[in-house]
Amino acid sequence: MPIITENITREKKTETDFQSPEVWTKVTGKAVYGNDFKLPGMLYGKILRSPHPHARIKKINLGSVEAMPGVYASLTGAELPERPYGIVFDDELPLAAELVRYIGDEVAAVAAVDNETASKAVEAINVDYEMLPAVFSPREALKPDAPQLHEKFKDNLAWERNLLRGDSDKAFREADVIVENTFTIPSVHSTYLEPTVCVAADDPYNGLIIHTAVQSPDAVRVIIAKALELPLSKVRIVGPVMGGGFGGRVYGNLKLYMIASLLAIKTGRPVKMQLTREEEFLVGRPMIAAEMHLKMGFKNDGTILAREADIVTDNGAYSAQAPWVSKTLSERNDSVYHIPNIKTRVRLAYTNKVPTGQYRAYGNQAANFATESLLDMGAVKLGIDPLKLRLKNCVKTGDTTVHGLKIKSCALAECLKAAAEEIGWYDRKKGYGYGISAAIHASGSLVFDKNFRGAAALARLELDGRISIFSGEQDYGQGAHATFTLIASRVLGISPEMITVYSRDTLSSPHSIGALGNRQTTIGGKAVQMAAKRLRELIVLTAADMLEDPVVMEKGTLRSASDRIVELPLVAYHYHSLTCGLSLIGEGRYVPEPSEYDETGYGNIAVTYSFAAHGAVVEVDKTTGAITVHKIVAAHDSGKIINQISAIGQVFGGTTQGLGMSCYEGYLFNKGEVANASLADYRIPTSLDVPDITPIFIENEDPEGPYGAKGLGEIVQIPVLGAVANAVADAAGVRVTDLPITAEKVYQALSGWECE
Amino acid sequence: MAKLAVTLKVNGETKELLIKEDALLIDVLRDEVGLTGTKKGCGEGECGTCTVLIDGRPVNSCLVLAALAQGKEILTIEGVGTPEKLHPIQQAFVEEGAIQCGFCTPGMVMTTKALLDREKNPDEQQIRKTISGNLCRCTGYVKIVKAVKRAAGEL
Repeated sequence: MPIITENITREKKTETDFQSPEVWTKVTGKAVYGNDFKLPGMLYGKILRSPHPHARIKKINLGSVEAMPGVYASLTGAELPERPYGIVFDDELPLAAELVRYIGDEVAAVAAVDNETASKAVEAINVDYEMLPAVFSPREALKPDAPQLHEKFKDNLAWERNLLRGDSDKAFREADVIVENTFTIPSVHSTYLEPTVCVAADDPYNGLIIHTAVQSPDAVRVIIAKALELPLSKVRIVGPVMGGGFGGRVYGNLKLYMIASLLAIKTGRPVKMQLTREEEFLVGRPMIAAEMHLKMGFKNDGTILAREADIVTDNGAYSAQAPWVSKTLSERNDSVYHIPNIKTRVRLAYTNKVPTGQYRAYGNQAANFATESLLDMGAVKLGIDPLKLRLKNCVKTGDTTVHGLKIKSCALAECLKAAAEEIGWYDRKKGYGYGISAAIHASGSLVFDKNFRGAAALARLELDGRISIFSGEQDYGQGAHATFTLIASRVLGISPEMITVYSRDTLSSPHSIGALGNRQTTIGGKAVQMAAKRLRELIVLTAADMLEDPVVMEKGTLRSASDRIVELPLVAYHYHSLTCGLSLIGEGRYVPEPSEYDETGYGNIAVTYSFAAHGAVVEVDKTTGAITVHKIVAAHDSGKIINQISAIGQVFGGTTQGLGMSCYEGYLFNKGEVANASLADYRIPTSLDVPDITPIFIENEDPEGPYGAKGLGEIVQIPVLGAVANAVADAAGVRVTDLPITAEKVYQALSGWECE
Repeated sequence: MAKLAVTLKVNGETKELLIKEDALLIDVLRDEVGLTGTKKGCGEGECGTCTVLIDGRPVNSCLVLAALAQGKEILTIEGVGTPEKLHPIQQAFVEEGAIQCGFCTPGMVMTTKALLDREKNPDEQQIRKTISGNLCRCTGYVKIVKAVKRAAGEL
């Protein structure tokens, strides 16, 4: 299979390099992001947040807030019907009614003529609280005598899963070598650079329009219409350009949208609300923290026999997607290797801390850190080379994994070998540490809605011969529009410059699940392929009707059997006149096979699966514990690459985010209060922290994805964690099992010194 | 709070403005002058998305009082190039694929311009050090560094 490697000095473009013309608006400052957007008469909203981790609201004294000059309205939970909403569970209200459950919980809001007036008004609101005992540790929270957060969820247990495959007890009895350890990861924030912002406007003709950039606008629209009891057709999301998402903005910030909407309805004016950077950290739905106790059993020859896991994940005060993330975290990684016996217990606990959500690889990156670390510990005990251990056990094309995932295409072994070779696995330099790690990830997840697995798209021939593609999938810099353009261009045989993709208005684009589950290329792209195919058929039929002769379409031109030629604009006009105003529109749908998973979750959960192996080379200063990551090689099987320039960009960016999780990032709490709610204290990688990154694509054609492509955006982050952790352990001779792996922790492990 | 009449020179044009005494340059540029290409990622001087040049030096405009920028040359991304006529730095960012979500891009371009205006041929370490105050979450900086090198070669 062909292999693309990108070396750092790549100069030549390929024919698959394409960028959306939007880059020109971005590089010149003309692109309109949410905070650049204004409407006439617009007000500004601010939120009063709870300063306490757990308290009962006795009284909200608005005083003369509404009489303050420039203040148009205030809003409290008492005015609203108590109608909880949520993503997995309905456990949230737009504004607290009676209880606040974390520092940052929304208590009241104000709309005023400008941000400053709104902030002053919010500060003037006086709230009497009755303090309640709070709980911050998820393990403590699960104890019967712990303070309770939600009446509906006894013992703070938000969600639990006990999973058995095979007979792990028996397998462990038969195992020659057993390793076990506890691994912990803190909560991590996607840290998109643009703080979340929206402008909500409401009027009797248009209904509610929320101008906001979000990864799943249709899902947001449905939740908001239901929660605010508005007709669905009168709730519309229109997206400005999005300043990054990375899975952290699948649902944007629902409370912000709802509060802005309620204030807009109340005042009859558009209301803009933006989170500050501090608020992003306080309420921006970071990924769950997790404590994972893992145990693995092997035969002496390295065959993996069984894996047991006891996992507790930290939900924070409200749930969002945390159950789904916990499920992926506890399970997906089991399908990287053949593990016939599995026993997993995962519990998601409510705590009085920041509510959580998701980030890029949906917990699979956390699982990679734990499992790949444990695998290397197993390799040491077995006396087997870690690469050989992985190659011996890894899945391949045609396999059905322990959880029922059907592997239609898989170049994982090739990825492992390529990554190992590129980092010099068998040609090691003295004084350096080498680590390797492997990953699987869903490419086109089918499980968000069993009855809505695929996607739809429209391809319209414009009167000037250009093509407009309408899709509900979102582009926020990862390159979905460029990918869709290239797919349509290949189907229609016309230049990508003649095609424009529109996706940011729920009124004009087909409904979509949105940008999650690595759906964009695999599912959204396939729908675009189908739409373009249908449009091509319609164009050919119309041209044949025009010329009264069969035609063929080549390079955007139609040629009849008698060698007459018509160009696309003429075909468009012909149909337009014939129908008095209609355009040729190709409707495309991609409806994947239903997932047949049983009540234990056994079954195929995605259209196909992407694979990757990363290798890392690091150096550790044994006196100080300081870590220098020199090189990361990212070998990927994402099928055939549609757009190289975007794909390579995803690898560089996602690998860097993986490095951030490995060595730098993580929430710090002090009695429920976020102790590092700024970019100075929550440290993401800078240009000085990024090592040499080498992307490698093993171009293994997938039978299902458009032109053989699979997803890439999420999996790029996953194997970094295991590779870096293993390389550091190799260099230091000691292992850090608590992310992020900092110099301090390496030093502690080296010196045997422990701090409280 | 008292309002202050100021004269700012932005992208070569003189702007007469009535601003609050404590107004920050970023807010005046974005809200009063209407130049929204300068982004606000944190408002605390940590992310670099609001970088503009004052007399050729890159500054976080969220940390500068607008009143103190009087009499100085302020350059924002809007003064660098247009989609029709990109500056070589902007062209290099596009060519290298250094732009993903684009939110850091204006600040990156401004920091790059300040660097290349004084140093014609910076090495990789100099580039990385210079842009280390501009955060990017999408690209891992790899293509940005390449774009800066490419621009240096073309200027």
